[in-house]
Amino acid sequence: MERAAVLERLSIARAPIRWRTVTVRDVVDETPQARTLVLDVPDWPGHVAGQHVDVRLTAEDGYQAQRSYSIASAPEDQRLALTIERLDDGEVSPYLAGEVRPGDEFEIRGPVGGHFTWRVQDGGPLLLVAGGSGLVPLMAMLRHRAAQGSDVEARLLLSARSLGDVFYRDELSALDGVRVSYTLTRERPADWNGYDRRVDAEILADVGPAASADPLIFVCGPTAFVEQAAESLVSLGHEPGAIRTERFGPTGR
Amino acid sequence: MTEEALWLDGNGLAGLLVEVFGAEMTTVPHDCQSCGERNAVGAHRAYAGAGTVLRCPVCGDVALRIATLPDRHVVEVRGAWRLEVARD
Amino acid sequence: MSPISRGFRGRRTEVDPSRVPPGQYVVNDFPVLSAGPTPHTPLDEWSFTIHGAVDEPTSWSWEEFLALPTETFTVDIHCVTKWSKLDTSWTGVSVDTLFEGVETEADFVTAWSDGDYTTNIPLEDLTGGRAWVVHTFGGEPLEPEHGGPARLLVPHLYFWKSAKWVRGLTLTIEDEPGFWEAAGYHNYGDPWKEQRYWSD
Repeated sequence: MERAAVLERLSIARAPIRWRTVTVRDVVDETPQARTLVLDVPDWPGHVAGQHVDVRLTAEDGYQAQRSYSIASAPEDQRLALTIERLDDGEVSPYLAGEVRPGDEFEIRGPVGGHFTWRVQDGGPLLLVAGGSGLVPLMAMLRHRAAQGSDVEARLLLSARSLGDVFYRDELSALDGVRVSYTLTRERPADWNGYDRRVDAEILADVGPAASADPLIFVCGPTAFVEQAAESLVSLGHEPGAIRTERFGPTGR
Repeated sequence: MTEEALWLDGNGLAGLLVEVFGAEMTTVPHDCQSCGERNAVGAHRAYAGAGTVLRCPVCGDVALRIATLPDRHVVEVRGAWRLEVARD
Repeated sequence: MSPISRGFRGRRTEVDPSRVPPGQYVVNDFPVLSAGPTPHTPLDEWSFTIHGAVDEPTSWSWEEFLALPTETFTVDIHCVTKWSKLDTSWTGVSVDTLFEGVETEADFVTAWSDGDYTTNIPLEDLTGGRAWVVHTFGGEPLEPEHGGPARLLVPHLYFWKSAKWVRGLTLTIEDEPGFWEAAGYHNYGDPWKEQRYWSD
């Protein structure tokens, strides 16, 4: 019943979703591989947590490249923020997460992606499952929840190679009423007593909530991660329709 | 298994669909012309071949095909799509 | 007018215009593009068929196909999405070999694959040593994501014509646009004339 309503409720806003020139206001290092860009966006129409933008770069000879990045900031935040992880063989990410300085300009189009969104009024309990940089849109959801002072039950399971690869670490431990669980797949501190393997049904059953609680589930990360997590969740009895996924992969051409 | 990387969630096409349809399309319900199942566009499977193909997540039949030419998008739409577009 | 993103260069390399068609850039990896999911037909169910406007259809099982005379050769390939890969090495059966003994009045061919993919090619572009059905890439069995167990290879046309997971060639009297040709892509697809789309 409620799931169908969630599917059908959104009418399409004819907001002008066009390319806009944005200016980088601030650059924040999240990890050695990732940075957050805080942007000045003229006439930003606002967004819903979970949405993304398309970013377009133009070289001096007119060559353009385009990729999609999730919005990291909450809708309530003053400025739009994107967190970008540098891929070694990437064309755009080494520029955005390496070269870019305050004052630089590029274009964004958005916000787009209404299917992978959560608003406080959608309720919960909320289960967020993140693989690496898949944390970004889920963090926007948690920041939105915090900004609204919501007490919707929320759990985050984050898979990362090591603690040093976790974005927003301090902020995550300070989030009110959010149960955060980590699984570190490559490197762990000596005194680690958290999970130490790829996300599987056993870890998800531990983290909960149970399928009978009818949670809203969002899974985001690399394709293989999302595939495995979604399958595990279904095997635990969760309704496929209650699981929203966002696979990261090569985007743009 | 590298074949998992062949498709992304339809949600990832949101920007392209905005360019084609002039509106946010990922929440639009689509009834597959083959199996009749209804799923949001964002839950379909987006493949990148020469152009873009969106397929039903249940049976795999084509829901949408988009070729992006320099001056236009060529779009083939299949099945039943229900759009609700806000009026200004 | 898009603003210039200071310091952004993109990933482009110097190209030899005699090897690389207009608008293309050279890659060293082998991008995987697909209009649909990878099929997994078991080899004992696989067959390759030439049929349609022919006097008699012919068909080979996988064993029979492997027993045909093969060639190993090196060609450049060019994808309509602008990447080119030079000096790719393949082993397979020439389409000329497959057409030995085939009688037809038809001028056109529709190559069809597992799944719903088709592509149309003039018969004369598949013969005269210009096309193969290949099963080996770089000395290794062709991987499923790249079209294995066997794909069509027509290197003088854009790579969407080199149908992955090919299962047969249908001879047709009329030219019948295939999956992409009916959806905006050029009917012929010569990379050297940059025939990418309907508008070219």
